[in-house]
Amino acid sequence: MDALGLARLQFAVTTSFHFLFVLLTLGLVTLVAIMQTRGAVTGNPVHARMTRFWGRLYVVNYALGIATGIVMEFQFGLNWSGLSHYAGDVFGAPLAVETLVAFFLESTFLGLWIFGWDRLGRWVHLALIWLVALTAYASALWIMVANAFLQHPVGHEERDGVLRLVDFPALLTNPLFTTAVWHVVLAALTVGGVFVTGVSAYHFIKRTTEVDFFRRSLRLGVVTTAVVTPLLVGAGFAQFPALMAWQPTKTADAGVGGAVGLGFMIQIGMVLLLVSWLTVPLLLRDLVVRMRFPLYLMVIGIPLPFIAAIGGWLYRELGRQPWLVYGLLRTEDAMSDVSRDGMLFSFIAFTAVFAVLAVADWVLIARLARRGPVEHAEPVSPLVPAL
Amino acid sequence: MEGLWVVLLALLTAGYFALAGFDYGVGLLFRFVGRDEAERGRVLRSMTPFFLGNEVWLVAAAGVLFGAFPGLEGELLSAQRVPFVVVLVGLVAFTAAVQLRSHPWWDVPLVGGALTVAVGWGLLLGSVLGGPRALWGIGVPVLFLLHGAVFLTWRLRGPARERATRIARALVLPAVAFVAAAVAFGGVVREPGYGWIGAAVAVALLVGTWFALRSGAHRLAFLCTATTCVLPVLTVFGAQSVVTAGVMAHAPTLRALSWVALAVLPLVLLFQWATWWMSRAAR
Repeated sequence: MDALGLARLQFAVTTSFHFLFVLLTLGLVTLVAIMQTRGAVTGNPVHARMTRFWGRLYVVNYALGIATGIVMEFQFGLNWSGLSHYAGDVFGAPLAVETLVAFFLESTFLGLWIFGWDRLGRWVHLALIWLVALTAYASALWIMVANAFLQHPVGHEERDGVLRLVDFPALLTNPLFTTAVWHVVLAALTVGGVFVTGVSAYHFIKRTTEVDFFRRSLRLGVVTTAVVTPLLVGAGFAQFPALMAWQPTKTADAGVGGAVGLGFMIQIGMVLLLVSWLTVPLLLRDLVVRMRFPLYLMVIGIPLPFIAAIGGWLYRELGRQPWLVYGLLRTEDAMSDVSRDGMLFSFIAFTAVFAVLAVADWVLIARLARRGPVEHAEPVSPLVPAL
Repeated sequence: MEGLWVVLLALLTAGYFALAGFDYGVGLLFRFVGRDEAERGRVLRSMTPFFLGNEVWLVAAAGVLFGAFPGLEGELLSAQRVPFVVVLVGLVAFTAAVQLRSHPWWDVPLVGGALTVAVGWGLLLGSVLGGPRALWGIGVPVLFLLHGAVFLTWRLRGPARERATRIARALVLPAVAFVAAAVAFGGVVREPGYGWIGAAVAVALLVGTWFALRSGAHRLAFLCTATTCVLPVLTVFGAQSVVTAGVMAHAPTLRALSWVALAVLPLVLLFQWATWWMSRAAR
């Protein structure tokens, strides 16, 4: 593989790892915020315990989200300096807004939420988790603005061989942004719903004594998935008119990899939609727990929305080729002047570190998830002594 | 408008080195300052409330670099590709390990990551300056170690504090030696004045650190070492006049971004200050 192929592969690997963690971050923080709100309003301690248990899993997942996010940020300059040279004025703007509004504030709020556990007043602490959620969604929004510009460049004019920003609001009304952002946000909520459902189902399989705790969690997960998936599927198909208008050859350009990704995503979306609605009536009188076999399906289902999301993302990005900025800048022309060995070095270094840390992180999440809501547990990590 | 963004980039970069600098110092020192697992946990937990807030200054600086200085971003990162890759790999390992340390096994990526990041920033600054890289690869970690030791002296109690204080005192002289050597062996730069002023201020701050430590003014010592960690970056980038109008985005982009930056920065400062204020009450 040549330097270009390695640079593209490195981008795909970094983004995929980042995406896996970000999806769960977005989905889980929403559900945690809902749990904490119910706890604050009703005063029922089970909600506070749920917030603590699911909040731990959320924070441990966030660790690799931030780590991979830092690399994402720098990768544009390291490997794709042609992009910042040619389109930095336009593409860089939403990216800068994302880091300032979202990442910067989100981490600050999250640090305060973790540290403020048992220290801050109930309503202040509740406001913090909603601020974390809000800034997390703002992050998704601005990243999609930046991505939509690559798919369908708007709001710019070319002068002296580089792009200049002439219409900032046009970036926000880009048809390939407005249709896609809903799809991504709903996908993240689906990931959160399916994850909470699956982990709760595991505890029922193990005949947990925390019946009330996991019944409430399971219901929240199933209902979230059932409410979100029809909208998710709808928002997915609603993108095709805009795609056909602005990228008519997308499916052909995406090649076999993109087509397979698209196919997997659509099938998984349909299955989740169908199964979650079939499960809703079974929530009555805990039928789903008493029947037992649906519980196993729920655990097996945990990876499905992740696979679907990666598939859909592959279709979107591969279908943009051979362009980096659609119709304006070819991918091969945007690469930094880096030797094949240099690219191989960074590709191996990042991939190896991500792979090891991601597996370690997932093992830790699985262990915490299996342990359940233990009181007076040992500190999970130095960062979350309170949780 | 351009001036505002140069100040903002400098501020974010300064914030990163002043705050994350002690993260790396603590990461390198906590196994020595803490003698057993319980004590090591306490040492790390003195740093972790600020951890997410500290590291994210780098992300914000990188975002501003991309949005407002697209020319510099491509040029700087491609030219210094190897040190940047090294720093990033170390950063990923360190960031993940601090947050996930559920077993002493994690100390391998934690200490290794901190060392890689500290040495990596040193190499990078040495390359930009054109000075001897090995000197900078050792000198910058010394500054971070000193900063971390002073932070621990300020935040810890009991025997762990004694150990941190001894380490901090022992590191002041090597730090002064590094600053002197950096000036003596510095390459030819575009604006030598920056180097002289930066070095003079750094030495003054290090002397201040020494006396502040002796008189138990720990917060003052911390402010001195925090500023000392910032100086090399601003000095090197100023001396080489890395930031020029030619590498910046054009006025419409800067105007659009200015509203965002002016709205966000006070919020970040307020909430990060709240974290420090709360930890004072909790200690």
